[in-house]
Amino acid sequence: MYLTRFRVNAHRREARHLLASPHRLHGAVNGAFPEPPAADGTGPRILWRLDHNAHSDILLFIVSPSRPDLTHLVDQAGWPAATDAEGWQTYDYGDFLGALTTGSTWSFRLTANPVHSIRRKEGEPTKRTAHVTFRHQARWLLQRQEKNGFEILTKPAGRRLHIEGDEHQMIVRDHRPLQFPKLSRDKQLNVSITKVTYDGRLRVTDPDLLRGTLTSGLGKAKAYGCGLMTLAPIG
Amino acid sequence: MTSVLLLRLAGPLQAWGSAARFARRTTENAPTKSGVLGLLAAAQGRERDADLSDLAALRFGVRIDQPGTRIRDFQTAHHADSGKSMPLSERFYLADAVFVAGVEGDASFIEALHTAVQAPAFLPYLGRRSCPPVEPFDLGVRPDTHLMQAFREEPWHASEWHRARTRSRRTLDVLLDSAHGEPPHLSLRDTPVSFDPRHRRYELRGITTTSVEPNSAPLPGTPPPHDPTTALRKS
Repeated sequence: MYLTRFRVNAHRREARHLLASPHRLHGAVNGAFPEPPAADGTGPRILWRLDHNAHSDILLFIVSPSRPDLTHLVDQAGWPAATDAEGWQTYDYGDFLGALTTGSTWSFRLTANPVHSIRRKEGEPTKRTAHVTFRHQARWLLQRQEKNGFEILTKPAGRRLHIEGDEHQMIVRDHRPLQFPKLSRDKQLNVSITKVTYDGRLRVTDPDLLRGTLTSGLGKAKAYGCGLMTLAPIG
Repeated sequence: MTSVLLLRLAGPLQAWGSAARFARRTTENAPTKSGVLGLLAAAQGRERDADLSDLAALRFGVRIDQPGTRIRDFQTAHHADSGKSMPLSERFYLADAVFVAGVEGDASFIEALHTAVQAPAFLPYLGRRSCPPVEPFDLGVRPDTHLMQAFREEPWHASEWHRARTRSRRTLDVLLDSAHGEPPHLSLRDTPVSFDPRHRRYELRGITTTSVEPNSAPLPGTPPPHDPTTALRKS
């Protein structure tokens, strides 16, 4: 597995074109792999995420089973002529994943599409619906901790800001309802998804499950930049 | 070495009178020593006429994290049972203010005060009975330090909107008990000698004003730092 970081030059027209539509960025990311992985949904897949850290610091992270070639993205939306920075950095992810141990703690970031399926009245087919409030979005991730091999660290009682709903070392931020066109062969479809970013600290409970989460994603809308979780040392 | 107990004094309304008499009840811009020591004495369950010399000997200081606004209330209260009108009074409050108050003294005494604050005998209030504090109230004990150091290390407790508004000007005013022999910048009659309801007595207190740079807390809207590549780079 490989983890790739690419810095987007938001001042370029093509970059704005890509940032405006997860659909187009999905195509651009897929175009970086001469041999894309099987799309049957069983093995590891290509995951990507955009981190808007500051106005001029937008990073694209890609986790993939093979090494990507982002030359086309650098030409369109990067800094092709800058000599001091490489266009993109690809790191070997396998060693890091293999070294994950039970009980180790990390800070994490996850951009996801928290949804549930509801029906408004009896007999109606269920419909996938986004979680809108902070509380539901937080609960969505908390419900998935165990199955994905981690647990989010809790706060000591003295540092909680509320009696209820502030038990975990986690924030939910950057709630973005997105709507973008998806061009199909014969008609134009509108895709609408809700993206939120989770930041926090976790403890590894099952390294195998967590490895699966880190390489095949968490939740829906993985093609549109959701589901990629990354770990960093607690600084 | 001395220890410091820090309290976060924040609430919708607070009122810290030092020279208020009769029907016009004013407030200072920052918590008074008598107000905070009264709160601690109440937490310990001392009676109104108990001896206060050990508390009054503590060094007191307050940091103004968010100055708040002064509001005036014209109060026309009537007696609940007889319906008779009470004296017309004018009451001043600080709205939306946040302070960090600290007392410095002998480690064992500070620890005893902290225990009392965690399970107060009489509920704490912010200068006036109708002004309850909001959480987190107890910021804990800082061992082996002095007031100024504790104020320098304590993160800025202002609300997000206030921090966003004061982006450029980022020093916080601190009011401290003057050291022995040091000419005070101002003086206030708020060192309690007795809280006896029949005859409250206060002594003059010399105050030194200074300011600290708040511990650099991230500005609102800034995502927490997260770089997943730090764990992957080979040293």
